[in-house]
Amino acid sequence: MIFQTIITGISIGSIYALMAVGYSLVFSVLNFSNFAHGAVITLGAYIAWMLMVSVFKLPFLPALLLSMLGAGLIALLVERTAYSTLRHRKAPSLFLMISAMGVAIALQNVLYATIGANLYALPPIFTQDTINIGTASISRMDIFAFVFSILAIGLLTVVLNYTRVGTAIRAASHDAEMVSVLGVNLDVLVAVLFLLAGSLGGMAGVFMGVKYMVYPSMGWITNKAYIGAVIGGLGSLPGAVVGGILLGLLEALVSVTTIGNVALSTFRDVFSFGILVLLLIFRPRGLFGRHVEEKL
Amino acid sequence: MKKLWLVGLIFVLIMSSALAACGPAAPKTIKIGHLVALTGPNATWGQSEANAVNMAVAKINEAGGVNGMQIEIIAYDSRADRLEAVNVVKRMVEQDKVVAIIGPGQSGVANAVREVNNSAKVPLIATTATNPTVTVAEDGSVVPYTFRVCFIDPFQGTVAGQFAIKDLSAKTAAVLYDVGDEYSQFLGQYFTEAFMKGGGTVVANEAFRSGELDFRAQLGKIKSGNPDVLFIPTMQKEAALAAKQARDLGITAVLLGGDGWGSPDIFELSANTIEGGYYVNIAAMEDPAIQDFLAAYRAKYNADPVMPNPVLGYDAVMWLADALTRTKGEGGEALKAALEATKDLQVLTGKLTIDPATHNPLNKPAVIQQCKNGSFTYVKTFVTTE
Repeated sequence: MIFQTIITGISIGSIYALMAVGYSLVFSVLNFSNFAHGAVITLGAYIAWMLMVSVFKLPFLPALLLSMLGAGLIALLVERTAYSTLRHRKAPSLFLMISAMGVAIALQNVLYATIGANLYALPPIFTQDTINIGTASISRMDIFAFVFSILAIGLLTVVLNYTRVGTAIRAASHDAEMVSVLGVNLDVLVAVLFLLAGSLGGMAGVFMGVKYMVYPSMGWITNKAYIGAVIGGLGSLPGAVVGGILLGLLEALVSVTTIGNVALSTFRDVFSFGILVLLLIFRPRGLFGRHVEEKL
Repeated sequence: MKKLWLVGLIFVLIMSSALAACGPAAPKTIKIGHLVALTGPNATWGQSEANAVNMAVAKINEAGGVNGMQIEIIAYDSRADRLEAVNVVKRMVEQDKVVAIIGPGQSGVANAVREVNNSAKVPLIATTATNPTVTVAEDGSVVPYTFRVCFIDPFQGTVAGQFAIKDLSAKTAAVLYDVGDEYSQFLGQYFTEAFMKGGGTVVANEAFRSGELDFRAQLGKIKSGNPDVLFIPTMQKEAALAAKQARDLGITAVLLGGDGWGSPDIFELSANTIEGGYYVNIAAMEDPAIQDFLAAYRAKYNADPVMPNPVLGYDAVMWLADALTRTKGEGGEALKAALEATKDLQVLTGKLTIDPATHNPLNKPAVIQQCKNGSFTYVKTFVTTE
């Protein structure tokens, strides 16, 4: 049973990781928690639903790519409307975070007002879904999502390390002002950043839609991803991946633990959010984080 | 001249009213209020309930009424709004002088009007208000003049537990419930009690928090207990996710649920893994007991009734008419006592017995439905035993 629990934990954790990377990417340069990320993930899932179910009947792969692009563009649009003015005014990062919360609630309510509160399912990718290994079962969708998430994060690492834009982003995460002085157009750089974070979010949204379902408040789950990002150290990409998977594992283990007669599954969120508070108090840098200071 | 004419008119009026008072009494009517959502988001059910109540009253009146007195329904639109409901119940009680009130269908509305109908000693029979607090206040005391004709939510857990033992011959069961939701928690608790009382073993009682999407950790634990049935007392969203994940993990237990399952999108959301599962419902169109009612309803209104309000509204009228027959049309305390004393009364959905301690029906028949071939099918009407 412990083997099954670990597999379950990793598969939940890999989705957390994919979402956590979006938080960390934005945080690494702009130094604020982009709480609108959850809404972008939700919209990514809705785009996939329109492409695959309600309007067109596209197969999975093109729908996934288009949803990633769509979510990336939405993230970019959010940046242009809600953050860029604040950024240019050199507003404290707290203002950006509050603006992000506003955007998240506004976007969610746009969904309620236009499409409604109905629940939708995305078609399954595999007909025969599970593979049995010993006593444990793994769903093909989980393996697929895990491999794809790792590939996407790997690709992102390559972009950040071996391209000019990536080098500029990494430089900006150390000292944005200096990068700007050296002739890099910060607006373009931030645009690329949000495009990347948004597409990863879109991917997470589509996976969630296939694994679970699509509904307006599904972005709530990003709270967990955010905890993952904090565990790993906000702003650190490897940290986000490790933190997300660790949190998934921890939650799965807590869920099956019983102390005396009390099943801890009801305390799962007490653990998750308790860790968030404790980390912020005792180790705000997380596992891999650097010293945090104002950047933009 | 003009004045004389006026005096004459007044004289005639006085005489005629005096004569009317002396003459033989006109057939007396019994006024019953109907508090129902005729507009607003609950209107679909409310209008159907109003139709059914009118049908029931017309039938009783045609058969001679209650001890020769005709029933008159005075219906007011509550819009399922608490404030509006308080206003119209005041009007029913103070101006219309109704002897009893049928409705509302919403627990929140029933609790909001509690003070008004109870201080006026006008019995109220809620139709589909299933929250336990409607008839039994938070302090555990029964609300004297508030009754209900439907069962309370947690009772579905008792039905599911006994059904699993008797009809599915289950020996072991597991429960997966939402710890952040009162409905889910109580159903789970009542299920566990009924299942263990029937001689079964509950191998796992696992919980999750509202808003969670992944229950595989809990289901993994449930799988190791290898239960015959898995009870998932949640709305269709969580039930669909749990069904899908349970089957993914290779859990073969029969799935069971409450009326929260009754949304047709459960099939799509669960990728049809809910197939074969059973759930408890208040009423079903296929129930053989209500076929005559359905035919009459369709003939009169040219539409299907919107379940479950119409059958419960109909039952409420039958119950009230029976109690009024026993009090000879008298309301107040006598009617309260008569409503409480109702035993084995044949109503539309089965036999009605009222528990005086809770003002809830005892062993109210429930409907078991099955998710079969992509739709809900009627299995049987299940009557619990103590």
